[in-house]
Amino acid sequence: MKTSLKSLCAAMILAATFGAARAADKIDIATDATFPPFESIDSNGKLIGYDVELMEAVCAAAKLDCNIFNAAWDGMIPGLIDGKYDALISQLTVTEKRRQVIAFSDIYDHPIFRFVAKKGSSFEFTPEGLKGKTIAVQTGTPMDAYVTSHIPGAVIKRYDTGSAPYLELTAGRADLHMSYQAQIIHSFLKSEAGKDYELVGPEYTGKDAKEFGEGVAIAINKKNTKLVEEVNKGLAIIRENGQLKALNAKYFGE
Amino acid sequence: MNWGIIAENLGLYVQGAKLTLLLAFASLAISFCLAVPLAFLRNSRIAALRYAVLGYTLVFRGTPLLVQLFLIYFGLAQFELVRESVIWPWLSSPLVCVLIAFVLNSTAYSTEIFAGGLRHIPIGEIEAARAFGMSAFAQARRILIPAMLTRSLPLYGNEMIMMLHATSLASTVTLLETTGVARMITLNYYIQFEPYVTAAAIYLAMTFVLVSAFQLVQWRWAGYLENRIG
Repeated sequence: MKTSLKSLCAAMILAATFGAARAADKIDIATDATFPPFESIDSNGKLIGYDVELMEAVCAAAKLDCNIFNAAWDGMIPGLIDGKYDALISQLTVTEKRRQVIAFSDIYDHPIFRFVAKKGSSFEFTPEGLKGKTIAVQTGTPMDAYVTSHIPGAVIKRYDTGSAPYLELTAGRADLHMSYQAQIIHSFLKSEAGKDYELVGPEYTGKDAKEFGEGVAIAINKKNTKLVEEVNKGLAIIRENGQLKALNAKYFGE
Repeated sequence: MNWGIIAENLGLYVQGAKLTLLLAFASLAISFCLAVPLAFLRNSRIAALRYAVLGYTLVFRGTPLLVQLFLIYFGLAQFELVRESVIWPWLSSPLVCVLIAFVLNSTAYSTEIFAGGLRHIPIGEIEAARAFGMSAFAQARRILIPAMLTRSLPLYGNEMIMMLHATSLASTVTLLETTGVARMITLNYYIQFEPYVTAAAIYLAMTFVLVSAFQLVQWRWAGYLENRIG
């Protein structure tokens, strides 16, 4: 009895060790799949979205063996710094603060940031006008940074995922939510839940405030300069051969 | 290592620790008051009452606290009827939702702990109470409740510690308690070890105080049980 218990334990530990080990030479790329149309999980559990397709195209063009998977937003950048992941693609905006700790590929898109609110509501988009209003954002995003430093009088509610703020908006717990314009349209306004809501206020870009960054890029571990070069090569190829243009057309009709 | 960031945000941790203590003590105090009478109902001679309480404890011990919290916070908000009712100003507050979830959950566990304690009171103590001619109420107040509580102390101490640690779930619905503060620092400064170690140290210190206080309580009120061992 004693020996069988021992061998069972040994077998469990062995299985756990080997089961947990990842394929060694693949490039591990994490994404926070709560952000359609950029990255999300479809009903079959498969990763889909603009960023996912773009990354697959870059890997194919640069002949990289990539493994793209879903990861929690709050551990992504620390995980990249620690070498748990090789790269991240998750509509990451390039900011000065992030450049200090991680490397970025060339910028592949310039997002527009907007507020969304219930149809018919009116706001004055100044720090004074938004005083006391409840604004929902995803923690640690450019939107969070912007609202925190430019609208100090607002009540800011922060969430771990990109989807939770919409639940709060429809529940009436938040007056406004700020996010990427394309994400607001595709994941909320086009759905049944978002039919009574609309984009409000001005269009914000990196030119309006430094918090919105220079654009979005693929994040790569600072030490891995070789991977930065390879990813940039891949990006250049898909820009050249029209794949990026086709992808933009498919998702945003541009 | 980057402890400077932790030092800069120490004020946030103090706020977070205060909220953690408020959540833990408020939910434990309310659930204690509910669990004592429920423990009696759980052992009631009337089968309907017994099974009603059993049903409640089964549901709340049989589902994860996080799921209960999400159902109350996000789930209820989905219904127009709830959003237009008079209780919505209350239910729209994350603090109220968190307290409701914690109280319902902790009451279920405490009820079962106390009910178990009640069942294990030696029949002799109850017979002695009856022989004294105590009314049912006097029996409960002077014999059953003290005997039940002292016998449940070690188990209930565990429940208190579990509840203290379970308050970390409040961070999932925007409350910035200790864990929420750690997560916010992680997301804004891209470090994970330092903020979570700090949070762990805070919980450990709180648990240490709780365990010490509990030992004192046990020594003071349940001392008479000790002699029976060995």
